[in-house]
Amino acid sequence: MLQTIQLSKSFGGLPALRDVDIEIRPHEVVGLVGENGAGKSTLMKILAGVQQPTSGSLRRDGVPFVVHNPREAAALGIGMVFQEQSLLPNISVAENLFLGREAEFTRFGLMNWRRLHAAARRELQRVGLDIDPGRRTAELSFAARQMVELAKALSLEERVRGELVILLDEPTSVLERAEIERLFARVQDLRNRASFVFVSHRLDEVLALSDRVYVLKDGSVVATLPAAEANVTQLHRLMVGRALNAEYYMESDQAPYAPEVVLQARGLGVVGAYRDVNFELHRGEVLAIAGVIGSGREELVRSIFGFLPHTEGELRVNGLAVRLATPADAVAQGIGYVPRERRTEGLVTLLSVAQNITLANLDSVLHGVRIDYGQERTLAEDWVKRLHIRTAGVDMPCGSLSGGNQQKVVLAKWLTARSRILILDHPTRGLDVGAKEEVYRLVRALCRDGLSVVMTADTLEETIGLAHTILVMRDGNVTAVFDAVPGAKPVQLDLIEHMV
Amino acid sequence: MRVPFAGFSAARLREFAPALVLAALVVLLAVSTPGFGTPETLLVVLADTATLFVLGVGLTFVILIGGIDLSIQAVASLSSVVVAMLVPRLGYAAFPAALGAGLLCGLFSGIAHVKLHVPSFIATLAASGVAGGIALLVSGARAVTIGEAGRAYLQWVAGSVLGIPAIILLGAMVLVAGMLVQRYTPFGRYGLAIGAGEAAALASGVRVDRHKMAALAVSGVLASLAGIFLAARMASGSPMLANQLMLPAVAAVLVGGTAITGGVGGVGRTLIGALIVSVVRIGMTFLGVNIFAQQILFGAVLIVAVALTIDRSKIPIVK
Repeated sequence: MLQTIQLSKSFGGLPALRDVDIEIRPHEVVGLVGENGAGKSTLMKILAGVQQPTSGSLRRDGVPFVVHNPREAAALGIGMVFQEQSLLPNISVAENLFLGREAEFTRFGLMNWRRLHAAARRELQRVGLDIDPGRRTAELSFAARQMVELAKALSLEERVRGELVILLDEPTSVLERAEIERLFARVQDLRNRASFVFVSHRLDEVLALSDRVYVLKDGSVVATLPAAEANVTQLHRLMVGRALNAEYYMESDQAPYAPEVVLQARGLGVVGAYRDVNFELHRGEVLAIAGVIGSGREELVRSIFGFLPHTEGELRVNGLAVRLATPADAVAQGIGYVPRERRTEGLVTLLSVAQNITLANLDSVLHGVRIDYGQERTLAEDWVKRLHIRTAGVDMPCGSLSGGNQQKVVLAKWLTARSRILILDHPTRGLDVGAKEEVYRLVRALCRDGLSVVMTADTLEETIGLAHTILVMRDGNVTAVFDAVPGAKPVQLDLIEHMV
Repeated sequence: MRVPFAGFSAARLREFAPALVLAALVVLLAVSTPGFGTPETLLVVLADTATLFVLGVGLTFVILIGGIDLSIQAVASLSSVVVAMLVPRLGYAAFPAALGAGLLCGLFSGIAHVKLHVPSFIATLAASGVAGGIALLVSGARAVTIGEAGRAYLQWVAGSVLGIPAIILLGAMVLVAGMLVQRYTPFGRYGLAIGAGEAAALASGVRVDRHKMAALAVSGVLASLAGIFLAARMASGSPMLANQLMLPAVAAVLVGGTAITGGVGGVGRTLIGALIVSVVRIGMTFLGVNIFAQQILFGAVLIVAVALTIDRSKIPIVK
């Protein structure tokens, strides 16, 4: 009933989807799996009208259609349960359910609250949620909010004739076991009214819930298979798409690290985020942290850079206990941070390449209190040459550079600041394959020069490929530590077992 | 190769339009009003602009980081009262005392803004109430005239050097110092970085809080310098002396081409903006426009200038 024909989408010349053909049949649950960056979310957003395809078309019951925004998609019976929840926290559940449809409940411009709440209660019952619709949305648990989202998507039924298509984008990633089961039970119950597209990282769940599974890789559909005939390992192999190519991550360049400990955590914790984390980072080592959303790994990384000061335990830099209350404290300790949000946290895009390179260590070009522009330019030009940064000049605003080159400017900034410990927070996010390779090569080179790296990566493949040591986290605890010496690296399933 | 860059046309407009507008206004006035183009009149224009410009320089450093300082007129008034009351007793020591009062007001706003996380708009509005209230209290809500004996101490501002009003030279010194600070010191660089990308500046280890505090302190000190200028020229201080200067000061900064969203602009542009405001004001006086009607025009000009120059690619939602 819903079909995509040769659907393609690119962002600034970078393809995110290439010629995707998928089909969703009536009463069907279709699973969609793939690595981060494979194009799952993009595909969902196009179906929901949030983004427009670059080329290709959508068809409903064989008829081509175009949707420009979520409202138009809703009119065609397509609803999305957003990964980042789309409910407004400061208004009631009932108001959220009928947001934008208040006119149906007004008389002479005044809201009839009784009717609104009665209608809301009906919608909530359909997803098995027994709460007062007058409650403020922020007071609900995450799981309950997820069910409200689902109810909101299902409420389309009253407005649309024909069957609904509900898109579920990672609805289970933060739910507890019992809540997931309840969600799945509802999906099964509702199949007579709607088809579902289900995106999840948890492959076993996808297999349990779906009828058919599409596997996406690098923006293309690489396989379609009935869930009953598939298993997790097989899906995984299809997603990664090739036998792990050791040389892609330059594993032969992975030199053993030095014995000297540069960063040490002992019983480190932040109340409500993670607890009792212990590790030792050595000179020349890449320590990767693996874990799903909510595992505490993002918070751990931000603690090491002073964004989220630790509340328990102890952090030592070069043997001395430190308290990093602000990023400036971390920088003073020789720690640099390469953030995932390159354009907002990595660079000041309006400032020039040279100005960004010296931002973390203006002292290096300071004579007394005066900035030496000539010296700043020389220093920047030197980094441009050494890191092969492609720019029309060091005076160009950083916003005009490509993602990969921007990332190198961020690295140059920390090298100028003489950081000895680099935190790489999803360092290859949004980069194309060639730019990724350059980042990997740089990481190897930095380690050879005696820098140490703490990393969280987009994919497990990258985590395993780059790391000397892997810390696996789940629910705020470290659940496993792996040595990842070249030739004896753990495989993804070893890690996954401790992640979920 | 020229890479297309977001907000490019707005940036171009900000860069050249103010200077062109100023030139056009001067030419227009010189042609239509006999006597405007003479050196004497131009010196009067510059002398009249100095106070507004100094006020605007401090404000520029705050607007550059994306903040606002609404306390400057109250601080300037307070400073004029301090000068008028202390000059007869302390002589020259009255001036550092006035500057110190401005510094304290700036730090007050800074602490409220940075430590208590109150938006600069509110923190400085509150500081304005405090400074204005103190000025009213200590002066007994009256203008304080500086007697003959005290006037000698005002000559460094009110007098002239080689036929040029000293206030112009003082304004020029503030201009040069401001431009140097902005271009050649970490304070100037960090200001640009914070205005254009606070998150990135923070994540680069810039002590953002400290810088914000410093910017508000500088604004307070320069506002009190403007208050000293006013007191010296009028030979009196009053808790309402600078009351009509807030709007023209904001207009001077923004019309000059400093973006209200931060990150773009500078002291040099504020000079152009302040001159535009002055020339428009004098032009209206020549044309016989009622003095109260002038504020109406400044209000309108301010809105048009901001509407033309706001960078919509950076700020899609304006509240």
